[in-house]
Amino acid sequence: MDRDLLRQSLNCHGPSLLSLLRSEQHDNPHFRSLLGSAAEPARGPPLQQFPGRKEKRIDNIEIQQFISKKADLLFALSWKSDAQAVSEVNEDHEEHYAVMPPLEQFMEIPSMDRRELFFRDVERGDIVIGRISSIREFGFFMVLICLGSGIMRDISHLEITALCPLRDVPPHSNHGDPLSYYQTGDIIRAGIKDIDRYHEKLAVSLYSSSLPPHLASIKLGVITSEELPLYYRKSVELDSNSLESYENIMQSSLGFVNPGVVEYLLGKLGIDESNPPSLMRGLQSKNFSEDDYASALRKKQSASWALKCVKIGVDYFKVGRHVDAMNEYNKALEIDKQNVEALVARGALYATKGSLNKAIEDFELALENCPTHRNARKYLCQTLVERGGQLEEEEKFLNAESYYKKALALDETFTDAEDALQKLHKYMQKSLELREKQAEKEEKQKTKKIETSAEKLRKLLKEEKRLKKKKRKSTSSSSSVSSTDESASSSSSSSSSSHRRHKKHKKSRSESSRSSRRHCSKASSSQVDDDRGEEYYPLPINTTASFLNQKQEVEKFLEKQDRLPYPKTQVKEKDRYSLCSSSAEIPDDFGGRSEDSRDSYNSYKTQAGSSKTEKPYKSERHFTNRRDSSESFFRSSEDKIRNYGNRRFDRDVEGRKEHSRRWEPGSGRQPPSPASSECSGKSLEKYKKCAYSGSRDFFKPEQRYQLNANQGEYEREDNGGEDLKTEALGEDRPSSKDQPERVKKNLPQNLLNIFNQIAEFEKEKGNKPKNK
Amino acid sequence: MEGALRDGGGNPVEGQLAPPAKVHFRVTRFIMEAGVKLGLQSIPIATACTIYHKFVGESALDAYDPYLIAMSAIYLAGKVEEQHLRTRDIINVSNRYFNSGSEPLELDARFWELRDSIVQCELLILRVLRFQVSFQHPHKYLLHYLISIKNWMNRYSWQRTPISVAAWALLRDSYHGALCLRFRAQHIAVAVLHLALQVYGVEVPADSEAEKPWWQVFSDDLTKPAIDSIVSDLVHIYTMDTQVS
Repeated sequence: MDRDLLRQSLNCHGPSLLSLLRSEQHDNPHFRSLLGSAAEPARGPPLQQFPGRKEKRIDNIEIQQFISKKADLLFALSWKSDAQAVSEVNEDHEEHYAVMPPLEQFMEIPSMDRRELFFRDVERGDIVIGRISSIREFGFFMVLICLGSGIMRDISHLEITALCPLRDVPPHSNHGDPLSYYQTGDIIRAGIKDIDRYHEKLAVSLYSSSLPPHLASIKLGVITSEELPLYYRKSVELDSNSLESYENIMQSSLGFVNPGVVEYLLGKLGIDESNPPSLMRGLQSKNFSEDDYASALRKKQSASWALKCVKIGVDYFKVGRHVDAMNEYNKALEIDKQNVEALVARGALYATKGSLNKAIEDFELALENCPTHRNARKYLCQTLVERGGQLEEEEKFLNAESYYKKALALDETFTDAEDALQKLHKYMQKSLELREKQAEKEEKQKTKKIETSAEKLRKLLKEEKRLKKKKRKSTSSSSSVSSTDESASSSSSSSSSSHRRHKKHKKSRSESSRSSRRHCSKASSSQVDDDRGEEYYPLPINTTASFLNQKQEVEKFLEKQDRLPYPKTQVKEKDRYSLCSSSAEIPDDFGGRSEDSRDSYNSYKTQAGSSKTEKPYKSERHFTNRRDSSESFFRSSEDKIRNYGNRRFDRDVEGRKEHSRRWEPGSGRQPPSPASSECSGKSLEKYKKCAYSGSRDFFKPEQRYQLNANQGEYEREDNGGEDLKTEALGEDRPSSKDQPERVKKNLPQNLLNIFNQIAEFEKEKGNKPKNK
Repeated sequence: MEGALRDGGGNPVEGQLAPPAKVHFRVTRFIMEAGVKLGLQSIPIATACTIYHKFVGESALDAYDPYLIAMSAIYLAGKVEEQHLRTRDIINVSNRYFNSGSEPLELDARFWELRDSIVQCELLILRVLRFQVSFQHPHKYLLHYLISIKNWMNRYSWQRTPISVAAWALLRDSYHGALCLRFRAQHIAVAVLHLALQVYGVEVPADSEAEKPWWQVFSDDLTKPAIDSIVSDLVHIYTMDTQVS
């Protein structure tokens, strides 16, 4: 409640308003306290103060009733909007609004009153404009003609003089009298420095320090007549034609027809249009609910419309019409860009379609808009883990790790992510240990072989040399090789199988090169950990190796089957794959983690790479696997093929070297920070790899020998007992055949999941034409 | 159909029993409230109210649904004053006004029928008003008067007194009645300013010494009784406010 304002009003309207206010506003505590004190007639403070003004009082009972009824609104503090105390510059442009001559000019107020009011209202810091009337040695006098800021008054006829003392005239050159620059009659703009209201005297200054800060940029000093304020020029015009009415001047002004004039003046007067004032109780916009505004309603409506579309989309999705579903989701997002449900649904669809990155984008956007959305969080976690699995598959372990970590950051209780992360860590370490162990084993085997069958070794070395020579000579293309390999078996099916086998080799080669990369990284990271202490990765010695060898065994077993009754196996294998794919036809739930995932994986592989035979799903296994199988392959085939295999082997090594070279720049960029084991691991990796590739070159003959020795075992195995094979490969190979099944189950769940979904997607793809 | 829009909340008897002035008061109140919620500025709201008052002045009250006229008037005013509105927003805000707390309508066939009726009614209004739907509002005049008064007044007393806000509020509220049709824009502006000054007990400096009172400067053909009659009408609008609601 603005007491001063109320007092001002009471002063004007007298005791009748006071009594009306008392009766109208007696419920209002603010008024009660205010008027209560005035209730005692003796103390009625303002009313008796100006008895002389009593006759001036407006005794309009209607207005007084109005005031008393609306007093709480009229005298509310919130209405004091025009609080800006700054006196703005009068440099308004003609086109903004109709700049009018001063009101007093129309009202024809006597000069005496105008002069009195001028000295009442003028303030320090105001800009005045005047003509120099006389120049003295202590300064100059000027007669004011108009005001440049603050109030706009008609003062040109009031003969108000102001003194500008010498010390307030800035010098224009280093020497001489500063006043010599000025002449009588010059138009001067100056700031008011001092006012003597009683004696009606003004002192002005030409230094801009006399102006308030927001006007400081205005140049003081001599101005031209064009720089005179617009209102003054209008006022001069009016003087020459005093018959012109306010209305005519206003309506002929350019600014009056400006379409933006209302907005401009509202801003100038400090009226807020976004929160429009009203004296109606029902129109107090502060009482309006935010929810009732058009924008809020539209948003709500759009959201529900979008939700409807999402529902339709979900129905489409359920019956497998994914394109229609996607259309509905996109429509929903068009209607309501930030619709969380639509984003989640579309993300789920993307995830189902295998576009995991797009899915993650959608889920993340949904979570951004609604951080508490449970499904969005859940799906995002799952998709992140899946994507991580994919990346793991692509050997991007650090990326995969970051995805897992992201998922864990979203949901600490999400065990899948934790499992996957642990598995990844374990796996990284495992393969690293495997690498070490292999190196160890090679070393061991080398020595062992030399000791036990030196004779054989020599023989094999010889053969190796011969092979090498031949390989260099040989220029036959791989296609000729593939057409001639397995020529021993004459049937057409065998040739096709050899094709297949050939492909397998190719594949395995590339995979092995990749796996070697992995090994390297593992090796280096373990190196780091070794440096720090062993306790981080206390792994059973046997696990990796056994894992590996089991696989080998399966491979070998398959190989054997392949080799012995050729056409039959072919059929058998085909049968098996068709079976696998059919088992995968059974629709698996999204995100379901079933045991038959390997089947679906296999089926996927068969479908994707149609002629590919059983492909090991862990590349690391290949590393040794490949060698066994390829070597056995060499053995049974002609020299040419052997050369081919060898060449490939060499290429393999080269590729690895190349790879290590490729790694160098990337790892070089990594700062060797001890804080992150990944980083240091990487940089170490580089050295390790160099060493590794070097050592590989060094060990090549021995390795070859060892492999060939293995191969010898294979030959024998073909002929007869399995016991020989086990004997040759060492004691760490378990003999039980059900091991691979367990291995399958041990595969990272997320991988299985992905394969599941991919299979499902493939299946759906296949089914779609039928639906349509 | 538009009656269906306010099945829930509207007062069904008002059309038959209440005197026309009260119906118009309610409908213009609706226009103003909807205008605020639609983010309309003062001028388009004034135009919408003027269109409404002019339309109901030319046609029988019970011939059309006044609220439909109001909705179309808002839509038309938006076009006239270059602050275009979407019918969807108008329908949403109106629906919420009639059935407070209700959910926004579904965008079904009924919604589009409502929309069509607004557009059709807009054409009707245009024909009834003979396509004369642009008006001279007092707003512009009032603002210029305020600037002139401000320069003549002591700046501190101006800052202390919310004359411009009060005058603006009075002017906006004046559209509850048909003042805009009965008086010249300049006269309404002066009357509003006069009332605002009186409410706060502010006098124009040296007005008694002047040859011409300030209000006559702004409009030559204005007389003191004319101002008083407008002020009286204005005050009456506020008494109606208490009677209606």
